[in-house]
Amino acid sequence: MTVTDRPELEGLGNYKFGWADSDAAGAAAKRGLSEEVVRNISALKNEPEWMLDLRLKGLRLFGKKPMPTWGSDLSGIDFDNIKYFVRSTEKQATSWEELPEDIKNTYDKLGIPEAEKQRLIAGVAAQYESEVVYHKIREDLEEKGVIFVDTDTGLREHEELFKEYFGSVIPVGDNKFAALNTATWSGGSFIYVPPNVTVEIPLQAYFRINTENMGQFERTLIIVDENSYVHYVEGCTAPIYSSDSLHSAVVEIIVKKGARCRYTTIQNWSNNVYNLVTKRAVAYEGATMEWIDGNIGSKVTMKYPAVYLMGEHAKGETLSVAFAGEGQHQDAGAKMVHLAPNTSSTVISKSVARGGGRTSYRGLVQIEEGAHGSASTVKCDALLVDQISRSDTYPYVDVREDDVSMGHEATVSKVSEDQLFYLMSRGLDEDEAMAMIVRGFVEPIARELPMEYALELNRLIELQMEGAVG
Amino acid sequence: MGLNEKPLSTLHEKASYELADFAVPTGREEEWRFTPLSRLKGLHDGTAAASGGVNVTVEAAPEVTVETVGRDDERLGKAYVPADRISAQAYAAFEKATVVTVPREAVASTPTTITLTGAGDGVAYGHTLVKLEAMAEAVVVLDHRGSAVYADNVEFVVGDGATLKVVSLQDWADDAVHVSHHHAQLGKDATFRSFVVTLGGDLVRLSPSVSYTAPGGDADLTGLYFVDAGQHLEHRLLVDHSQPNCRSNVVYKGALQGDGAHAVWIGDVIIQVEAEGTDTYELNRNLLLTDGARADSVPNLEILTGEVAGAGHASASGRLDDEHIFYLQARGIPFDEARRLVIRGFFGQLIEKIEVEELRDRVMSKVEAELAG
Repeated sequence: MTVTDRPELEGLGNYKFGWADSDAAGAAAKRGLSEEVVRNISALKNEPEWMLDLRLKGLRLFGKKPMPTWGSDLSGIDFDNIKYFVRSTEKQATSWEELPEDIKNTYDKLGIPEAEKQRLIAGVAAQYESEVVYHKIREDLEEKGVIFVDTDTGLREHEELFKEYFGSVIPVGDNKFAALNTATWSGGSFIYVPPNVTVEIPLQAYFRINTENMGQFERTLIIVDENSYVHYVEGCTAPIYSSDSLHSAVVEIIVKKGARCRYTTIQNWSNNVYNLVTKRAVAYEGATMEWIDGNIGSKVTMKYPAVYLMGEHAKGETLSVAFAGEGQHQDAGAKMVHLAPNTSSTVISKSVARGGGRTSYRGLVQIEEGAHGSASTVKCDALLVDQISRSDTYPYVDVREDDVSMGHEATVSKVSEDQLFYLMSRGLDEDEAMAMIVRGFVEPIARELPMEYALELNRLIELQMEGAVG
Repeated sequence: MGLNEKPLSTLHEKASYELADFAVPTGREEEWRFTPLSRLKGLHDGTAAASGGVNVTVEAAPEVTVETVGRDDERLGKAYVPADRISAQAYAAFEKATVVTVPREAVASTPTTITLTGAGDGVAYGHTLVKLEAMAEAVVVLDHRGSAVYADNVEFVVGDGATLKVVSLQDWADDAVHVSHHHAQLGKDATFRSFVVTLGGDLVRLSPSVSYTAPGGDADLTGLYFVDAGQHLEHRLLVDHSQPNCRSNVVYKGALQGDGAHAVWIGDVIIQVEAEGTDTYELNRNLLLTDGARADSVPNLEILTGEVAGAGHASASGRLDDEHIFYLQARGIPFDEARRLVIRGFFGQLIEKIEVEELRDRVMSKVEAELAG
């Protein structure tokens, strides 16, 4: 295969969400982080005292914790240049018409109202900058007691429930970025599904950063009570600026006995966003937690969705797909911690690196003493389409129990000449053939996505692969 | 490579002859976090002063020259630059080195055995260089026994077209501490076969690594370990593919039994941009025979080019397959015997690869003894 390092073909209109709206709120926002900034955020939201205390604790721990020295190069983040809180509109809307014109246009362009109209989703949240600007849940679900609100509203209206679970899965000082999120969090989704309720179609959230040098710190808390089911889908985009933004979310999920939760992310930040996210779920007896994690955009992503299997027969599953193009580093993976007997976990990771990009799979499977009868399977496949890209695998395995089975496998392969030749002899050009092979490679994951997301993923692959063949 | 030059890979960040370039490990570093520093008896923080505790004897093939040289011999340290604190400590502190040379085109007719016997409590630092000139062939055995606190570096320089087969036996007494780096440098079309057997010692940390100076190098690294209660046996491998069309294959298998038995296996493979046509595979399997044992297994892979012939790794940890034992029991074989047979099968394929017959028998009987005990 020839070298595909042909800059003239690359980066031309590949990112279709790169426009920026006019930005009065963002321009006025303050840069840098201090106790005053944190107190301000808390005061603006009229928060209870305990939350302010927690924020201040987060700020202290953020200052104390060292930057991670492993994973991606984070030296480009300038914490003093980031805007930690940007309020884009005074009031949350419940119909698209109420939104300010520019924000409404944005979501129109992203196709969100259309999806809601067609009832493809059971509820929508749209977060613009620091706060959720639009929120809607289907009436029948509301009647069954399903709570789906933005996290700020969740704290105001369901304080007891909120206080019980907030920070219980990811403690304030879990890592530097979780501490930062605790100090500055704003927005995100708060979901509670009462026992024995099945939410048949997905709840959806859409995150967008518009301001340059913005830090978005959404905080999501999902509680799925006994024998219930919910599927939550999130998507993310941002404009293309010359300097970098930071997205550092914390997602905590509690899946109670016999319940099931599926969390789907299609992350398509623009190539100037540092995406450093902590996601963790606890799964109790017989519960199932599934992470479906697509990483396509961003400059740097470090994200390792975790499942702590706390109860017998709990099950964790992560399906992960990552694309890294020029200048991108996707350091993604999964973490499975087996703490109870007869638990099982599966990790399937597929990654494609091209144009000098770098994908890394970094994972941990830990089987603690007492978790007998547990089983874990980890499979990582990487596809290389040129000679200048890079693919790494760092799977950690720690087994402390004899009666278990743990397997890890990884393969790295390149697209074969034979495959290309076969398709091209049937009249496809090289770009199309390559895109088709890559689509086939990620198909096991694409088919787990809701239809419109699967189509979106395929379209994104096509964009990513455009001009990939020289 | 200087310290300030940050290498492309995160898997081997430092290399220096100067002890001062390496901070005393705290146990929080990635490369030290699995190792119980308190059991290193001061090898890592400079408090272990050499007191000459290891006796080296060599039984050489007639075609081979063996020398004992001082630390200023200029052949030493050419192939390998210490990559961690203890390696640098050993390099800074050793007094005498053993140099084994196999001349050009010579084929050693018998194995050359270097026996390192620990005399007791003493601390010792060592250095060994095995050099095969072009087209030479030899089998070299490193036999570690007795009791000691020992840190050393071993350099294997395999010349163009040469073939070196090494067996390294860590058959220490129960209280020994051994930290060692084995580095093989392969010339054009050179062949290297390494077989590591680690059975004894309170703490053994062995880091075999391979580098290539020209295309066509071929390395097989095979390992076997049996970890008993309280033992910490750690193997950290690194294969650095920096040349086109080289091959490497790593297979390490271990069994663990008893409380506090801890096995660590780190297998790093880097395929550099220049290393087109690389073919590499790594496999680690751990058999946990009882509760209370712990196995850490980390096969890392960094690939910087798309033009690879094949790259992959696999790791599996678990207990004996019930079905295998049931099958044997159903044929009238008692449980203990069946268990022994299955474990023998697990190691058997590996042991067959040992070049020297007496060693094969010795390793097999050691494994048997471990199972009986």
